[in-house]
Amino acid sequence: MTDDPTPAALTVRDLTVAYRDDPVLWDIDLTVPTGTLMGIVGPNGAGKTTLIQSVLGLVEPAAGQVRIFGTPYAEQRQRVGYVPQRGSVDWDFPTHALDVVMMGLYGQLGWFRRPGAPEREKARAALDEVGMVDYADRQISQLSGGQQQRVFLARALVQDADLYFMDEPLQGVDATTERAIIDILRALRRRGCTVIVVHHDLQTVTEYFDHVMLLNVRRIASGPVDAVFTDENLRLTYGGRVGFLRQQQGGGAAEPSSEAAA
Amino acid sequence: MTLPQLEIQLVAVVVAVACALPGVFLILRRMAMMSDAISHAILPGIVVGFFITESLGSPLLIVAAALTGLLTVALVELVERTKLVKEDAAIGIVFPVLFSLGVILIARYAGDVHLDTDVVLLGELAFAPFDRFTAFGLDLGPRALWVMGAALGLNALFLALFYKELKLATFDAGLAATLGFMPGALHYALMSLVSLTAVSAFDAVGSILVVALMVGPPATAYLLTDRLAVMVGLSAGTGALGAIGGYWLAHALDASIAGAMATMTGVLFGAAVLFAPERGVVARWRRRRRQTWRFAEQMLAIHLLQHENTPEAERECRVGHLQEHLGWAASFAERVVHRAARHGTIERQNGRLRLTDPGRTVAEDALERT
Repeated sequence: MTDDPTPAALTVRDLTVAYRDDPVLWDIDLTVPTGTLMGIVGPNGAGKTTLIQSVLGLVEPAAGQVRIFGTPYAEQRQRVGYVPQRGSVDWDFPTHALDVVMMGLYGQLGWFRRPGAPEREKARAALDEVGMVDYADRQISQLSGGQQQRVFLARALVQDADLYFMDEPLQGVDATTERAIIDILRALRRRGCTVIVVHHDLQTVTEYFDHVMLLNVRRIASGPVDAVFTDENLRLTYGGRVGFLRQQQGGGAAEPSSEAAA
Repeated sequence: MTLPQLEIQLVAVVVAVACALPGVFLILRRMAMMSDAISHAILPGIVVGFFITESLGSPLLIVAAALTGLLTVALVELVERTKLVKEDAAIGIVFPVLFSLGVILIARYAGDVHLDTDVVLLGELAFAPFDRFTAFGLDLGPRALWVMGAALGLNALFLALFYKELKLATFDAGLAATLGFMPGALHYALMSLVSLTAVSAFDAVGSILVVALMVGPPATAYLLTDRLAVMVGLSAGTGALGAIGGYWLAHALDASIAGAMATMTGVLFGAAVLFAPERGVVARWRRRRRQTWRFAEQMLAIHLLQHENTPEAERECRVGHLQEHLGWAASFAERVVHRAARHGTIERQNGRLRLTDPGRTVAEDALERT
C-alpha cells in the first residue's frame, strides 16, 4: 500500500478481536478502494458490527492494524462518518430530529463551541436530502423506525465525510425507505465517497453494492461482487443454509440442508 | 419571615438546585441508582476525612469523601466488567460494603465526637444558620451556603462548558467516541461532580435525601418537556420549588426540613405523573376519550355517506339501526348522534339521520386516510 499514490480508503491488517476467550474476529485482512459502495454480510455473530467498531476505535482489538486513507483513525476523524445501529441509542431522549442531525457537526465544532445558525442551516439541508425536513422539530420518539433511520443518515451526511460506516441502515425499514436510503448511498458514491454498509439481506447484495465482504469471524472473501459473491463463498460463510437463502436467485443454489455447516 | 428562616430556605434552594443539575444526566443515562450508591459510599470517606481534619467543614474532608464516591463508580464498573453480574447487582454489592465500612468506623472510633450515623444520613438543615462562615472577623452568612454555593457554581460551570459534549455522550456515546469527545472522561467528570455534590450536601440534608434531590426533580422535568435545555431548567425549578415548599411543610408540621423537602419533591413528581401536559395520566385518559368520540362520529358519518341516496337509506339511517349495524349500545348510539348533531356533521329529520356538507367532508377525509 506504500507504493500506491492514492491510499485505499480502508486497510485492515491482521485484525483480531476477542471479548472473552474465543475470538469474535480472527486475523482479518481487508482493503477497500476509494469510491466503492461495499456491503459486509455474514451470519449473526459473525463480527460485522465488531469489525466496524474496532476500525473506529470503539472496541480495543487484541492485535492488528487499521489505516484510513493511509493513516491511523485518530488523524482522520473528520473524514469518517458513522451510522450506528438504530437500536443503540435511547429514542426517548429529550430532543428533536434537527438537534440529532446537528450532533453530526459537533466533531467539526470541536470542544466548547456551540452550534449556531450555520449549523442549523446545514442540518436542515441534510434533513431535506433524506426527505425529513417536515419533521425537523418532531420529538425523536414520535418518529417511525424508518424515519429515525433517515435522521441518523442525515446526521452522517452533515458530517460531509469521505468514508462512511453504516451498521444495518436497512434494518426494519419499509420498502420506500429502503429505496430512498439506497439512492442516498449511491449519491454518496457518485460524489467519490466510500461507503461500507453492514447488510443482512443476501437477495439485494448484487443490486445494491459493487464490493462485498463475506465475514464469519474470519474474512471468507472480499472484492468486487461479481468475483467474490459466489455460491462457494456463501457456503463457506453461512454453511449449508445458503441454498435456502439464495433460492430466489435461482442460479445453481446449494442444497437447502443445514447439516453441512462448517 | 426571620433572617434564619430566610437563610435556611436559601441554603435549601441552593442544595436542591446543585443536586438537580447533574441529576438530569444521571436520569438520562439511566444511572439514578448510582447517586444512591455514591451518597452512601462516601460515608467512610467522610469518617476518614474527619479523623484527619477533625472538622466536618474542611475542604480536605470534602475532597477525601468525593474520592470515595469515585472509588464506588470505579469498583462498580470493575465488578460489572467481569460480566458475572449486571450493573444493578454490581451497585448493590459495592456500596453497602463501603457504607458499612463507614458505619463500623464511626461505631468503633468516633463514638464520642460530633459524628454519628443519624447526622450523616439525615442532616439537619435547621442548624445551618448557627454554623457561620467568618473571615477577618466578618460574618459572611451560613457556612453551608458557601459550601453548597461552591458546589452549585461548579455544577453550573461544568454544564455550561460541556453541555454539547455531555448531550452527545449521553445520547450516543459511540458517536461521541468516534468524534473524539472522550465519553469515558466525561462520565468520570460527571461522577466526580455527583460525588462532590453529595458530600457537600450531606451535612445539610443527609446522604439519603441527596438521592431524592438528585433523582426527583429531573424525573419530574423529564415528564414535562421533550427538550433537554428546558429539562435542565425545569429540573432546577422543581428542585427549588420542592425546597421552599418543603421548608414551609416542615414549619407547619414541626418536622425535619430535609424530610419535608424530599416529601415535597415526591409530591411534585406525583403531580407531574398525573397532570403532565402530554405524558400525564389525565392527559392520556382525556386523549383516549376524545379519540373514542371522534372515531365514533367519523364512523357514523362514513356509514351515512355509504347509504346516502340508496334505496335502503330509509332503513339504514335511523338511530335504532346503528345498534345493529355498528354494534353500538342504544345509549352510546344516542350520545354519538347527539354529539355529531351538535358539531353540525349530521341533521335529524323525523328520526332519519342525514349528513350535512361538513359531515360529508369528515367522512370523505376519514375514508381517504384509511
